[in-house]
Amino acid sequence: MNAGNLNLPKTVGVWNRPDSPRVINSKNIFKYMNGAGELYLGYRFRHLEVFEYTSGSQDNILVELYFMETSDDAFGLLSLDWGGDPVSFSSPPLTALNKSFASSTRALYGGGLLRAWSDDTYARVMAERETPASKEAVLALGKAITAKTINPPEPGLVKALPLKIGSDWKLRLDRLSFFRSHLVLNSIYYLSHENILDLDLSSEAVIVPYEHISDSKDPKRSQFLLVQYENLERARKALNQFHDAYLPEYNKEITADPAANSPSLFKLEDGWLAYKLLGKYIAIVFECPDQESAETIIQTSEFNLLKKEGQS
Amino acid sequence: MKDQKPVLTRRDFIRGTIGMTIGTSVLGFKWPQGEARAAGSSLVTVVRDKNAMDSSKNVDRSILEKMLEQTLIKVTGQKNTKDAWLSLVKPNDVIGLVPTDHLNPTHDEVVNVVKSSLVDAGIAKGKIRLAQGGPSNPKKCDSLIALPALKAHWLTGIGTVMKLYIMYSGSPSSYHKGDSSKLGEIWNLPFVKGKTKLVLVDSLYPLCDKGPQPDPRYQWHYNGLIAGSDPVAVETVCLNIINEKRKTIRGEPWPLTPPPICVEAADKVYGLGTSRMEQIKIEHYGWEHELLL
Repeated sequence: MNAGNLNLPKTVGVWNRPDSPRVINSKNIFKYMNGAGELYLGYRFRHLEVFEYTSGSQDNILVELYFMETSDDAFGLLSLDWGGDPVSFSSPPLTALNKSFASSTRALYGGGLLRAWSDDTYARVMAERETPASKEAVLALGKAITAKTINPPEPGLVKALPLKIGSDWKLRLDRLSFFRSHLVLNSIYYLSHENILDLDLSSEAVIVPYEHISDSKDPKRSQFLLVQYENLERARKALNQFHDAYLPEYNKEITADPAANSPSLFKLEDGWLAYKLLGKYIAIVFECPDQESAETIIQTSEFNLLKKEGQS
Repeated sequence: MKDQKPVLTRRDFIRGTIGMTIGTSVLGFKWPQGEARAAGSSLVTVVRDKNAMDSSKNVDRSILEKMLEQTLIKVTGQKNTKDAWLSLVKPNDVIGLVPTDHLNPTHDEVVNVVKSSLVDAGIAKGKIRLAQGGPSNPKKCDSLIALPALKAHWLTGIGTVMKLYIMYSGSPSSYHKGDSSKLGEIWNLPFVKGKTKLVLVDSLYPLCDKGPQPDPRYQWHYNGLIAGSDPVAVETVCLNIINEKRKTIRGEPWPLTPPPICVEAADKVYGLGTSRMEQIKIEHYGWEHELLL
């Protein structure tokens, strides 16, 4: 896939684009965007095409098309921030077709910036100065970018997450992020400057808070992390490494035996931590206010995961 | 792994033990406990003007000039701009202006008013140069004026003062990952050390999340200049402003992540200044709205 397949208009409103894009790959990405390049290399990045739409009378509109190896990677980039106003370019709107917020939201607009997930492409379209005309042009470009692409579902790992845990905990879909790199994890939820979970481009992970259902203005939250590795051995090794780095003063109780129902539980400075090795998956819950909730969150997730595995 | 060196984790930040752990895990030597700087305070000025930048992001140069003048006088305690500059630099110094040059760059207007102000103070035009880039740039300068733009950075937490000289290292990618805590060591390179006479942060239109790529949802009109001669104190005040802005956006604490440990390391390991708010004297002038301090 490249921009040629996406049919970007030559002209939109008073803005015109050059005939060919600036092409950025993993070798020259730092030259283009300094350290921001690590973000895209933290996913399965193929290349980036950049078009600058210019006008004699208006500020420029920048179009960045990130071509990724898989749709999951493009989803991951959008999932780093669900803020902004959802935009639907399809008819009927995806919200009418999909129950899940994460799968129905494909584009978000705010302050002159449109971010979109379209198949294996992640797009950023940004007006240097937001005006009614630039907004119209940005949205028209978004529509053109997404016009000919299919809308694959969200990553399978996301679908394995229970939306509710019993009657006490609900998943914050608007804070759900999909990633593969510990650098990206740290930008969402800091664990360690070291790669203590042994994440790489072959792994898949989601992190999301579960929020306690209550009338409190400051509801309790627990962070839930689910990682999928290539195989059981990688997962076991990663969990061992995590335990050594994060819980060095505790004894290990890692077993891949599904009959072992209870996760390993630890009372830490910021609440309860629970983890469990689930075949090639690792489930970890952080900052849980009580032991029982930590256990329930892991067990409910395990149940959902087994159900998902059974379906695939 | 129990016999191996400790790894810096989230728990160290909660327990307040980052010093001990980072010393041995990231930096490879012991973090001096509680020493750092001698008692005393570092002055940081925050000068703001509601009209410095309009809603269309046009900068008013005449207002910016006045803000710079006020900044220089307050930072140095001198009576006028000329005396202020001459208390910071020598008339024959080759002076390097070091702006953030890429992705939310320092506004050209900020660089230009600094340059004009130096010329008005009697510094020859030919002695003033732009000094952002590789190590050859600071080597050609006697004095440096750091002119970073205020922004959050997804890899290091903040990407403003400490990160400004990353290109001087000659290997910027070595500071991208866990090693970003070592950014302070660049300021101690022989051809950089002691040359920075003033840190003047362009905080006209900062970015408080998702940096360094611009995201207008997290940029706002702060319309300020933040300055001082202690780079760590200036960065600490900048951090405070960024974190306060994030809190107002979310309506709850939303600290920068990853935590910007390069700032504390710049204080406690590299001795570049103070990162302790209680040792920083903030003087604010002008527009009060959403001061965030």
